[in-house]
Amino acid sequence: MSEEAQTEEIPDSTRDLEIDDEKELMIEDLDLWYGDKQALYGVSLPIAKNSVTALIGPSGCGKSTLLRMMNRMNDLIPICHYDGKISMGDVEITGKDADLVEIRKKIGMVFQRPNPFPKSIYDNVGYGVKLHFKPTREELDAIVEKSLKRAALWKEVADRQHELGTSLSGGQQQRLCIARTIAIEPDVILMDEPCSALDPIATAAIEELILELKKDFTVVIVTHSMSQAARVSDYTGFMYLGRLVEFDKTEKIFSDPDNELTKRYITGRFG
Amino acid sequence: MKDIDNLQKRSRKLRDFAETMGSSGLAFTGLVGLLFLAILVWQITAPTFIDGESGEIPAANEFITESDYEMEWDYPNTDSNGALTTDAIVLEISWDGGDEVHELQINIISERDIYEDVYINESGLSTNIVEIGRKTKFHLYSSLTEVVLVIQNSGPVPSADETGKPLVSSFVIEYDIAVVYDGGLVFEPLEIIAYATLIFLVIIYRAPKSNILEFMHKLVGKERMVLAIFYALALVTTIAGGLSVPSTLAALCWILAARMMSALIKGIERMLHSGRKLSEVSRLKHSISNRDGLLMWSSMLLVTSTLFIPLEIYIPFLTERYQDIFSPYSSGIRAAFYGTIWVMLIAMISSVPISVGAAIYLEEYAKPTKTTKLIQALVTNLAGVPSIVFGMFGLAIFVKQGGIGWGLGPSILAAGLTMGVMAMPIIVLASQEALRSVPRSLRESAYGVGCTQWQVTKDHVLPSAMPGIMTGSILAMSRIMGEAAPLVVVGATAMIVFDPEPLAGLFGGNVNFTVIPIQIYFWTSEPDPAWHAMAAAASISLIALLVAMNSIAIVLRQHFRRRLN
Repeated sequence: MSEEAQTEEIPDSTRDLEIDDEKELMIEDLDLWYGDKQALYGVSLPIAKNSVTALIGPSGCGKSTLLRMMNRMNDLIPICHYDGKISMGDVEITGKDADLVEIRKKIGMVFQRPNPFPKSIYDNVGYGVKLHFKPTREELDAIVEKSLKRAALWKEVADRQHELGTSLSGGQQQRLCIARTIAIEPDVILMDEPCSALDPIATAAIEELILELKKDFTVVIVTHSMSQAARVSDYTGFMYLGRLVEFDKTEKIFSDPDNELTKRYITGRFG
Repeated sequence: MKDIDNLQKRSRKLRDFAETMGSSGLAFTGLVGLLFLAILVWQITAPTFIDGESGEIPAANEFITESDYEMEWDYPNTDSNGALTTDAIVLEISWDGGDEVHELQINIISERDIYEDVYINESGLSTNIVEIGRKTKFHLYSSLTEVVLVIQNSGPVPSADETGKPLVSSFVIEYDIAVVYDGGLVFEPLEIIAYATLIFLVIIYRAPKSNILEFMHKLVGKERMVLAIFYALALVTTIAGGLSVPSTLAALCWILAARMMSALIKGIERMLHSGRKLSEVSRLKHSISNRDGLLMWSSMLLVTSTLFIPLEIYIPFLTERYQDIFSPYSSGIRAAFYGTIWVMLIAMISSVPISVGAAIYLEEYAKPTKTTKLIQALVTNLAGVPSIVFGMFGLAIFVKQGGIGWGLGPSILAAGLTMGVMAMPIIVLASQEALRSVPRSLRESAYGVGCTQWQVTKDHVLPSAMPGIMTGSILAMSRIMGEAAPLVVVGATAMIVFDPEPLAGLFGGNVNFTVIPIQIYFWTSEPDPAWHAMAAAASISLIALLVAMNSIAIVLRQHFRRRLN
C-alpha cells in the first residue's frame, strides 16, 4: 500500500477512530492516485452526524482530495483513480454503479472560490431545486426565500433577487453558494476552504452560519486556519502527506494531541 | 548598475519604437481603408452626379416596370409602310373580376428605341393602340390596387415567358401591381401597434413610472390571459400580413412584448412581496427576471425592423432586380440580395447545429484517443482549405446527379449546403475554443448541485460559451457572404430577373440564382461604365451587410459576456 513511501517521521494513517455520535459517513481504507502519483494512503475516517468535522494540514496534504472524494467530485479528473470504500448509511458512495446525481444531491459542496452561476440570484438558488424536484412557481419562491434566509442573505438581496449572482460581493457570493447548496436539502455539506478568498468580516459571517447550519446538516470543512477549525468544529482530522495522522474531538486535538507531528503543526513549529 | 541602466534604456527605446510603429501602422491601415471606401463612394456618385451625365441618363423611376413579366417579340409585325404583316397583337387587359375589360393593340415596327408606355387606371387604358420599336421595351403601369389579368388574344407568340413556350390562348399572366406610388403604408396598422407596444414596454423597462405600474398591478395574476391575448395578436398579425417579412417581424414584436409584459407583472408582484412600494420605481429593475436579455432582444428586433424600411419604401437599387443590359440605373441588387440571404440562411441552418454539436462532442465527451486526435487535426486543416476546393466538393456532392451526387442542380440549396460545409470547420474550431475557456469552477459548481453531464453542458457550459460560439458562427457566416469562388463552380448565374426560389433544387422550379459577389463580378465585366458604378454600389451594400452582421455579433457577445462577469 504505502510501504515504499514511508519515512520515519510520518506515522501510518491512524486507525483508532471510534466516535460516540451517530455516524453519517464512513471512509474506510481509501487510497487515491493522480496518474502514478499517490495522493492518499489508506485513509479511514468517520464523520459524525449533525456536527462539524474539520480537516487541517499543510498544503498538498490531500485534505481537499479527501473532501472531494466524499461526493465523487474527483471523478471529473480523468487521471484520478482510487481504491477503498466510502459509505453513507447503507449506500456505498464509491460503488461502481453508484448514482452520482443522487450522491451529489445528498452531499452538497461549497468551493474555495465563490462560484455562483452566471444567472440571477433567484435562479442560482432555484436551479438545483428545479432540477431535482420540479416545483411549482409558488413552491420555488418559498424554497428560494427560505434558503436565502437560512444562508443569512435574505435581508441583503430580498428586493434584488433578479440581479446577477455574480454582481454580489465576495462574501455574499459565498453565502449565495451556501444557499444554493442547502436549497436542495442535502444531508452533508462539504466546504473546501470556504473563507480563504474572503475578508475577516465575511469570514466571521460564514463561520456563524456554519454553526447555525450544524443543527440541520452535517458539515465537513477543509481549512487552513487553525483558529477557524478550533472555533467551528466538533471533530478535527490532521492530515500530512496523504495520511490522516490524527483524528479526535477538536478540544482534544488542540489541547493535548497524541501525535508529536500534530502538536508541532498546531503550535506553528512545523517543518 | 550601469549595465542595467543601459539595458533599460535600450529596451525602452525598443518599446517606444514598437509603440510608434504599431500605432502609425494602424493609422496607415485605417487610412488605406478609408481611402478605399472613399474611392468606392466616388465611383458610385461620379458617373451619376459629377460628370454631368445626368441629362443623358433618365431618372431611374421612369424606367421601372411594375410588372414582373416581360413579353418580347423577335421580329416586327408591320412593314415599312406601317401595314400589319401578321395578325394584330392584341392584349386583353381585365380587372375587377372581369367587370373591366380593355383591349390593347401592339404594333411592332422595325425601328429601334421607339416606345410608348401604357397607363392603367380606374377609367381604363391611356391608349388602345401603341407602336413599339423592335426589341424595345414598353411598360404597363398601373395605379390600381388589385391584380390585373393580361391575356394575349391574337398575333404572334412572344419569344419568351416563364414557361418558355406559351400557347396564345392560354397565355395568362397575373401580376401584383399596387406597391409603388399609391402612397400606402410601409407597415400595416396592426404592425405599427406592435412596434409601438414594444417601444412603450422598452421605455417602461428603462424608466418606469409609478402610475403605469399601478395600472399594471391590476393585471397581477392575469399573466396567462395577457400572454394569450398577445400571442393571439401575433398570430392575427402574421396571417393578416400574409406571412410577409414585416408582418413576421411584427409578430415577433408581439411575442417579445408578451414576454416583457409577463416579466413586468411578475416583477411588480415580487417587488410588493419583498416589501417595497410601487412608488420606488428605481427598484423595479432588480425584480424583473431576465431584464437585460429582454431589453437586448427587443432593441435588436426594433433595429432589424428599421432595416426593412428601405426595402418597403422603394429605393430602386435595393428593390429592383436586374432589368436589361440597356438600363443600369433601373436595375438593382434585389435578386442578388435575396440570393445572398438565402444562401447564408441555408448555410447557417445546415452548419451551425452540426458544428456546435461536433465541438461539444470533441470537447466534452470524446476521450482523448488517437482517433479523436486525428479528427481534431483534420478539422484544423479543413479550416485552411481554399474555398474553390469546397466549390468542387459541392459540385460533386450536391449539384451533380448520379454516383455520390445528390442532384440538386446549380440551385440555392446546393450553394447553401456547399457554403455550410465550408463554414463547418471554422465554427467547430471557434466553438471548441469557446467551450475550452469555460472555467472549471463553473462545471464543478454545476456538478456540485447534482447535474448530469448533459445538464452541465446544456445549462451552464453552453450558455457561458455562447458569446464565443456566436461570434465564431457569425464571423464564419460573414466570410461565406463575401465568397464568390465556390459559387462560380457550383453555378451561380448573373442575369436574374426574378426572385430566387430557395428550395427549387428539391421540389423543381427555376433553380437559377445569384449572390452579391457574383453580381459584382459580372457587372464589372460589362462595357458600360454605368454598370461599374452599380458594381461599386453593390460592393458598398455588401460591406454594409458585413458591418451589420458583425455589429450583431458584437452586441450579442457583449450581452452574454456582461452576464458572465
